[in-house]
Amino acid sequence: MLDAFIQGLFVVLQWQTFLVMLLGIFLGFWVGLLPGLGGATTLALMLPFIYKMTPVEAFAFLLGMHAVVATTGDITSVLFGVPGEGTTAATILDGHAMAKKGEAGRALGAALMSSLVGALIGAFALALSIPIVRPLVLTFGAPELFMLAVVGIAFISSLSGQGGRALVRGILAGLLGLLFAMVGEDPQGGVQRFTFGQLYLWGGLDLVPVLVGLFAIPEIVDLAVRGTAIAGELPQEKLGRGVWEGVKDTFRHFWLTVRCSLIGTFIGIMPGLGGGVAQWISYGHAVQSARDQEERRGFGKGDVRGVLGPGAANNSKEGGALIPTIAFGVPGSSAMAILLGAFFLQGIMPGPDMLDKYLVLTFSMVWTLVVANIITVAASLFFLNQLAKLTLVRGSILIPLILLLAFIGSYTSNNHLGDLVVFLFFGFTGYLMIRCGWPRAPLVLGFVLGKIAENNFYISTIRYGPSWLMRPVVLVLILATVIVMIYPFIQLPRRRAPAEAATG
Amino acid sequence: MVLMQALFFFLVLLWSPIVTYGASYYEGKTVTVVVGYKPGGGYDRYARLLARYLPKYIPGNPTVVIQNMPGANSIISANHLYSVAKPDGLTVGTFNNGLVIAQLTKVEGVRYDLTKFAWIGSVASDAAVLTVRTDLPYKSVEDLRKAKEPIIIGATGPGSSTYDFPTLLKEFAGLNFKLVPGYSSSSDIMLAVERKEVDGRGGSYASILPFIDRRLVQPLIRTRVQFPEIEKLPVDEDLATSAKGRAIMAVRSTPESIYRPYAAPPGTPDDRMKILRDAFARVTKDKELLAEAKKTKLPIDYVAAEEALKVLQEVLNQPQEMAQEITKYIKFGD
Amino acid sequence: MKATMNLRFFLALAATLVASYALYASMYWPFRTALFPRIIGVPLLILALVEMALSAFGTERQQEGHAVDFELTTSVDTAVARRRTRAIVAWTLGFLALILLIGFPLAVPLFVFLYLKVAGGEGWVLTLSLAALSWLFMKGLFDRLLHLPFPEGWIFSLWS
Repeated sequence: MLDAFIQGLFVVLQWQTFLVMLLGIFLGFWVGLLPGLGGATTLALMLPFIYKMTPVEAFAFLLGMHAVVATTGDITSVLFGVPGEGTTAATILDGHAMAKKGEAGRALGAALMSSLVGALIGAFALALSIPIVRPLVLTFGAPELFMLAVVGIAFISSLSGQGGRALVRGILAGLLGLLFAMVGEDPQGGVQRFTFGQLYLWGGLDLVPVLVGLFAIPEIVDLAVRGTAIAGELPQEKLGRGVWEGVKDTFRHFWLTVRCSLIGTFIGIMPGLGGGVAQWISYGHAVQSARDQEERRGFGKGDVRGVLGPGAANNSKEGGALIPTIAFGVPGSSAMAILLGAFFLQGIMPGPDMLDKYLVLTFSMVWTLVVANIITVAASLFFLNQLAKLTLVRGSILIPLILLLAFIGSYTSNNHLGDLVVFLFFGFTGYLMIRCGWPRAPLVLGFVLGKIAENNFYISTIRYGPSWLMRPVVLVLILATVIVMIYPFIQLPRRRAPAEAATG
Repeated sequence: MVLMQALFFFLVLLWSPIVTYGASYYEGKTVTVVVGYKPGGGYDRYARLLARYLPKYIPGNPTVVIQNMPGANSIISANHLYSVAKPDGLTVGTFNNGLVIAQLTKVEGVRYDLTKFAWIGSVASDAAVLTVRTDLPYKSVEDLRKAKEPIIIGATGPGSSTYDFPTLLKEFAGLNFKLVPGYSSSSDIMLAVERKEVDGRGGSYASILPFIDRRLVQPLIRTRVQFPEIEKLPVDEDLATSAKGRAIMAVRSTPESIYRPYAAPPGTPDDRMKILRDAFARVTKDKELLAEAKKTKLPIDYVAAEEALKVLQEVLNQPQEMAQEITKYIKFGD
Repeated sequence: MKATMNLRFFLALAATLVASYALYASMYWPFRTALFPRIIGVPLLILALVEMALSAFGTERQQEGHAVDFELTTSVDTAVARRRTRAIVAWTLGFLALILLIGFPLAVPLFVFLYLKVAGGEGWVLTLSLAALSWLFMKGLFDRLLHLPFPEGWIFSLWS
């Protein structure tokens, strides 16, 4: 086992493999950066090219490309407020807010460093779990997945903000998100729900146009209204607090970064949960780490922890998602589904063989994740400070470019004009929500978890009858849900007391 | 001798317009294959494989590119191919073979008539199989019938063969299945099989094959399309207990013989269609393509246009009442 | 203060309408199809009504109502803000109209050109080069490389 582990590293470092991995990294860099160029789509496009490569080279290329996408997607999110990838939207909330305060460099440094930590932990988990992964994945059936979705939905309380009123709005947003998830054909009865006779809506609303609309449009409007550069009226020198500060932040809040990496890895392991979820739950967890009301309110407005959490999670989940893909041949995410095609192309059947006959290959994949991320982060760190200067460019120049990226990014979801309609609808909705103080994160959470909750609920009930509620892991998760829901309220009394003591 | 030379010369003269016409039309042009699904799926992979080898077989060596137009289980792309795409021989489409059933049952949103397309054919056929986990005591259909408890079959949702095929078996072959829909993809169902959450899965033979090879599941029932390894299994239609059941099963599995259909917009000129049909017929015999297809587990089995049209007519000639009966069991979904 | 509250009322009202529609539509569906929409719709309706009432009649304490999200700039004078908001909305919708009329590949450089010149008042060199770059971007990446299907603009389909 140990020698396979070391062998895996040497195999990746051979020059052909290394070169091919660098090529993948280069491609992945741009794919992540550009909204609408999805990691999954590009993987599919690259499949034909790996036909002539050896398995190790093929996966070095594909994984090298894929590993990087989540990292550079954060860059677009931070700088422009447009999600570079569906999985990097959460980074916008605090990352872009920091950019507006002139701290773009810091946000970028934090995003990148936390991405690296997350990727390393994810890869590490992948390596460690190889012996135990089968029983782990097999324990989590539909009832457990349903409860996980419920736990995720419970995070709405943390993402809402302080006060009863904010909670009301947070729950409203969450419920709306859940409702939007119901659009499309329902698998239980084959009934079209909320599709208004539109073929486009049969498959439901796609994540990317919703996210791009929800986040990009309000930022663009705000930028236009301010009439300044993204970084506001700050003079040139103040754009310091640069990248190294962000890197140091990652280590200042090291345990938070680690915890969020673990959350991301875990969610990645669970097939069916999808990539959009990990970032929001980590964001919710990061908010929970705020020590008092004052700090809580800082989230969404430029707290670096709001960047660290999702930044780590959206990378660690890639390592996690590889696990069911390799061990069972069941993809942990849509990009993994395409990666499976690569396995077949190479004549390999993922499954128990991967942990046995092809162990070196498996470990080479782990090392690819590690090495690719290290290279990307190291290379990026050098010109991140330059990138941050983009936030000093006049808004009027950036606006048409950001709008263009947003439009095109949404369109590539289904290559259909309907994508643009959805994008604008959610743009309008997002703007209204900001104006009226309704938090957007709960809406996204409800939206990504809605179908998972519903489908797994029915699978559980039809399959097991009511007895699934008594399963041990389910009971633990019910407890977790309750804790997550009331956590923000437990904190309240502790904070009110000193405030009252001060005034009383 | 002079006569032979004259004849030869004359033949060359006759032949050359065809050759030069063909060569001159497609030369420097781009042929677009519109795929009704997102990149990475089965239809897309077939199309991309073909796209790499087709230029060799089209005089003029045009570039062949893929355009993805997903939505409504490829109905959107079929509509596009029918009324928007130009019938100039430069556009071809591939879509769900089940669209013919959508047309028969007059699904809302269908705005195409498959019989009017300029057909090229199909590059693969498939069968549906019903599989159960190998560690279960069921080794044949009789075992399934004798089962005391319902057999749990996982599915994605209506409109997919994972759902429709077992549903018909349950309704018309009297098999005691409990259908559990809601899995997000067919591979998730396989994971559920490993977890013993479900006992089996129905659906496309080609996609279950890796798991059959791995001995996770074994096939017990098949549909009419023949493959050597599953030849001996009972056919679903033979298990039906009523004529109506048999007929509905037949309608469901008929399109499987043209599992990966390719067609051009209605009105594409015949001479260009001839070039395209020839190209497809020959590319599916190309040694390199077949080797790559085998490696990537994409079975290739060419069916020509006339055959394809016959298949379509078989489905579409069903009487109205039958069409209405079918909608009760087969809902076209995404 | 009053203007924002009216907007809050409106948004809550919209949520109420959405919830009511969802509950109404679910009446025609079989039980399993309708269950989740109803479980979501009922609390949505109730809370939306609560929020409507609070927006219409209540006042908001300063520390409440701060969502975990960003807030729009308040540093700009309201009249100016409103004018600029209307302008950017018009431009965005105009971009959509342009895409529908002349198709994506042409609309992009045209929009970039128009916005930079008209709204931004930028110089010719910058405007033309950015427009050209965006055209290259569209053609090179999305057309040549990815072969995205772009529907023809309405103007062209009328013409042909």
